[in-house]
Amino acid sequence: MPTAYHRLNPLTKMTVAAAGSVAALAVGGYVVPLAVAAAMLLGASVAHLAGRLLGLSLLVSLPIAVSVVLVSVFTRVGTTVLFSIGPFDATLQGADFAGQTLVRLLAIALSVGLFSTTTDPRALVADLERRGAPPRLAFVALATVEAVPTLAERARVIAEAQRARGLDTEGGLVARARGLLPIVGPAILSSLTDVEERSLALETRGFTRPGRRELLWSVPDSARQTFARRLLLATLVVLVAAHAARLV
Amino acid sequence: MGPWVRRQFDTRTIVLMPIAIAINIVLGQTVAAALKIPVYLDSIGTILVGALAGPIPGMLTGLLANLIWTFVLPPPFYSQYAWPFAVVAAEIGLVAGFAGRFGLFRSRPNTPLPILVVGFLATAAIIVAIGWYGLIPFYAKGITFFGDTGGVTPFFVLVGYVVGLLIAAAIVALFILLFVRRDLGVAFVLLVGLGCGILSALISAPIAAYMFGGVTGSGTDLLVAAFQKAGSDLQTAVLQQGLLSDPIDKTFEFFTVFAILQVVSRRFTARFPQGERAVGVMPSGPATHGPGLHERPTERPTERPAEPPTTSEGR
Repeated sequence: MPTAYHRLNPLTKMTVAAAGSVAALAVGGYVVPLAVAAAMLLGASVAHLAGRLLGLSLLVSLPIAVSVVLVSVFTRVGTTVLFSIGPFDATLQGADFAGQTLVRLLAIALSVGLFSTTTDPRALVADLERRGAPPRLAFVALATVEAVPTLAERARVIAEAQRARGLDTEGGLVARARGLLPIVGPAILSSLTDVEERSLALETRGFTRPGRRELLWSVPDSARQTFARRLLLATLVVLVAAHAARLV
Repeated sequence: MGPWVRRQFDTRTIVLMPIAIAINIVLGQTVAAALKIPVYLDSIGTILVGALAGPIPGMLTGLLANLIWTFVLPPPFYSQYAWPFAVVAAEIGLVAGFAGRFGLFRSRPNTPLPILVVGFLATAAIIVAIGWYGLIPFYAKGITFFGDTGGVTPFFVLVGYVVGLLIAAAIVALFILLFVRRDLGVAFVLLVGLGCGILSALISAPIAAYMFGGVTGSGTDLLVAAFQKAGSDLQTAVLQQGLLSDPIDKTFEFFTVFAILQVVSRRFTARFPQGERAVGVMPSGPATHGPGLHERPTERPTERPAEPPTTSEGR
């Protein structure tokens, strides 16, 4: 069910995501990233997505978070040793660094996640095209959205076919690495054969025609949203400048 | 857009780009998730577009791939952390485009032995030079593969040896290929891959160190931990990891694209804007014919003979 947040113009939502990510990145520390994360969860609660977004972001960030903790806490040189496991000393400096990295990653994951869970790719691309993005780039973006699941499905089918012929895809590291080639090769080659057909089909349908396309579908925008976007960007600039001047 | 740029974006290139991006994303995600090995394999599509279409489409494919990965793809496939590395992906596409422009993806089978030996020595010399000036200084304080390992935890010494052996095996395998197939093209691909890898490492290390605390959630993180444990600070450790895994990764990817381009038909490659320049006109089948049949035209094919019927697009 589209809520008020869903109905915002894609560019507005993208500005929110970009501003949140850049603020969390540029300023760092704990306060700003946590504030960004809180703001994104607030936006998500308007869209009735807070729980799902938090879950999704934590899930996506989990492998990288494990790495952050392992790499930073145990191997960073520090003076205050918290505890030791075997030869590895966990240091306070390492934990602090890991904590900062984690909140920053969480803020970015929530910012980008809120954008992608509430925005239809087609709406974003149509809106960007209406604002003057080259139509060919719009085609590339939308065709990618179709191509990725298609290729994944194709790779799955090929993997099953190869497994039926006795390919080992679930053994140790060496076996899995060796199993990669008989799957990757056919998947790539069969995708390439599609290029020929598709480009002929597109050319017979006026793809190379110069000039702009008339879009039948436009996503509503409003003066208030334009103002909000500019305000957000101005706030971001002030925040980053203040950080650069060591005020925040 | 000048004509030089416009010529690189015909319909075929535009159609290839989304498929290439899909190859990047699906492969990259599979490798990151399934195989915890210190390579990424997320640029094969980018290199393919660069080789066949030119530097600008290659660059754009890399850039778009990472942006689309983050901002356009719906949840099961998207990655929140791909966009900061868009610059690196763009650089890879650009390098691949110029490599294609200079015909470096051509197979050159049945190269006479003397030239092959010269090529081998030159390649080896360049690799040693890159290693001596580009890699060794960064590892002077870190793990030395065959040096003093007294103060370092045995586990990381072991990791170091495994990685060292992997690199050695990869290089030996490529050289064997170079001589068994007597294909000088392999040497060029190897060098471009190495150079691109070093450049990528230099660009991506600050991004990874600053944004993610030096980790990417894949198999390469183990190396960062190893270098940090050996006494490097974070930036240095990330750079060391990059200089170790990026050249291997990019060489492997350039080599994969080289292999793909030899397998697909010449008719397919020649229809792309720079396909003929990149891969050549003659098929490179197994060396069953006499050497005379396979001799490359020595002149650079700047004046293209008999352009095959391409698209209906007016140029």
